[in-house]
Amino acid sequence: MVETGIPKLDEFLGGGIPKGKSLVYYSQPGVEGEIFGLQTVYGTLKKGGTCVFVVSSTMPEIIKDQIKEFGWDMNSYKDKLFFVDSYNPLIGAHSDEKYVVSNPDNIEYFNKTITDIIKKLPPSTIVFGSLSTIMDLCGEKETIEAVRNWNKLAMVYDHVLVYNFTAWPYSEQTLDLIKGSLFNSVITIGGIAERVIFGQYFGILKSDWAEVSRKSMLFRVLRPGGIRIFIPKILVTGPFDAGKSTFVHALSTRAISVDRLGTTIAMDHGHVDYKGFSADIFGTPGQERFDPIIKLLSGESMGVFLIVDSTNPSDFVRAKYMLDITKSYGLPYVIIANKQDLPGALKPEEIREQFHLPEDVPVVPVVAKDKKGVFEAFEVLIDRITGGV
Amino acid sequence: MSDYTTGIKELDDVIGGIRKGSNIMLIGPPMSGKEIILNHIMYHGAANNENAIITVTTRESATHILEWFQANNLILPMSRIGIVDCVSKTLGGTAVENENIKIASSPVDLTGIGVKISQFLEEFFIKKNNQKIQLHINSLSTILMYSNIQTVFRFLHVFTGRIKAAGALGIYVIESGMHDEQAIATLKQLFDGLIEIKSEDDKNLIRIVGVSPKPTPWFEYEIEGNNLKISRGN
Repeated sequence: MVETGIPKLDEFLGGGIPKGKSLVYYSQPGVEGEIFGLQTVYGTLKKGGTCVFVVSSTMPEIIKDQIKEFGWDMNSYKDKLFFVDSYNPLIGAHSDEKYVVSNPDNIEYFNKTITDIIKKLPPSTIVFGSLSTIMDLCGEKETIEAVRNWNKLAMVYDHVLVYNFTAWPYSEQTLDLIKGSLFNSVITIGGIAERVIFGQYFGILKSDWAEVSRKSMLFRVLRPGGIRIFIPKILVTGPFDAGKSTFVHALSTRAISVDRLGTTIAMDHGHVDYKGFSADIFGTPGQERFDPIIKLLSGESMGVFLIVDSTNPSDFVRAKYMLDITKSYGLPYVIIANKQDLPGALKPEEIREQFHLPEDVPVVPVVAKDKKGVFEAFEVLIDRITGGV
Repeated sequence: MSDYTTGIKELDDVIGGIRKGSNIMLIGPPMSGKEIILNHIMYHGAANNENAIITVTTRESATHILEWFQANNLILPMSRIGIVDCVSKTLGGTAVENENIKIASSPVDLTGIGVKISQFLEEFFIKKNNQKIQLHINSLSTILMYSNIQTVFRFLHVFTGRIKAAGALGIYVIESGMHDEQAIATLKQLFDGLIEIKSEDDKNLIRIVGVSPKPTPWFEYEIEGNNLKISRGN
């Protein structure tokens, strides 16, 4: 086994990547996916392994600088880490590296170098810094054919192959192959986006050696430090007496409220762990004089539950205003149609109409006091946050 | 009031501003002052309209750009400025990131450039709660020197989409006469309009196409120091 060195990922993969297997980090453009390959280099070296890093989109020297920025001491591994330089030849510059792809816009030159390495080096981890750059230069079909061969050869020679891939809008066929049959394992790295990307996560799309349950983790990249898991904040807001505290408590494995006379005056706080996702939940007070707190909490949240009392349409104007405050931060949101058990409760569709909500905004029927629908709502919001990957 | 303006009064008066979510190509021959026009739009947006400006530079270093403003006594509100510097690293200089400058590893590293743009978008849009953002890429021509047209198209396809989604304004500089017509035509599909510059008989002319129902007239302009002077329309 080779460790990816990425927190939680090795655990999800049953310890790491077995010898002879291939794995792709499949990143949405704009998220820091390429760090995953780099951190896997370090993960391998730390465990005494040998590593080859194929540099295609910048100079090997710059990669070495990046490694330093992460605080990873590579000096002790100097004779265990090799670079394949396919960048300097591209810009017509000289390369000092041991392995150089002299003609990086022809896949045959890559083939020759990589095959050579696979056959000559002891079982190693070979990491491609940017498969997409190779594909851009050499063509989609040609590159996929070459990758197929390298993966086969790696199996024979007991190497581990790891690829960083940025999912630019290539042909659907290419993207399907990369997400599908080309690799033994696919790790997706995505951005949480409403109008801009404001959070990053990774998840296992496939792995043919480990049982994959649906798991996504949010992460941040620290310099120094590398990839770190982090726990997102989710905001629960809504008018007075809509049932926010009840909802927070129903959803949370543990929760506290700051109350006076039975209504929340500061906030509710809870933590939820559900199907591999975890989140901190913050409930805001409903009264207008506490609106600044909503603003304060919105800025740091990943998503919003807006709780409405389905029997009380007169409060919808207020609810809409509260939603506007959080929406201005571009956050994904879900409407919780609470108190569905009470007579006269409006149906989710009726609430959608009254709110003039677009079709794609989920309105989830819930009875918070009986914990009915709360976890469904959580899943719906997580799907909105992670784009359903 | 319109969503964005260029700060070039004569042009803004004709087009009445640029709608949010627009992607505009700024195209003109070498040495026609495109940089200064872009700097002008940047200064006007940041200082007068409280826009946040993200500039991707593939031609000169971030410090060099900031020095230009200093030298011309234009005070940029730095809390609204973000520069993605794709030059400094490859020149082997000691490039350090700070609040205003992020360093991409090379003009080939479109993935890296994309990450830095996204980070600034998040920074301005979410953390600073400023939804009026301009993205300037100067220039596509340099990027096209290292990557083929399909690659650049895919990159722009993603980022023009992000500009639309964020309600921002994208301006992309390209040299005319450096690329074949086919390449320009391919890229044009991604844009809503053009800021077009041409030189004729030692005169520089500028107009905007595609933003208003009819192209604006050509305006003659002169650049004196930091000053962009429109002399007349024709």
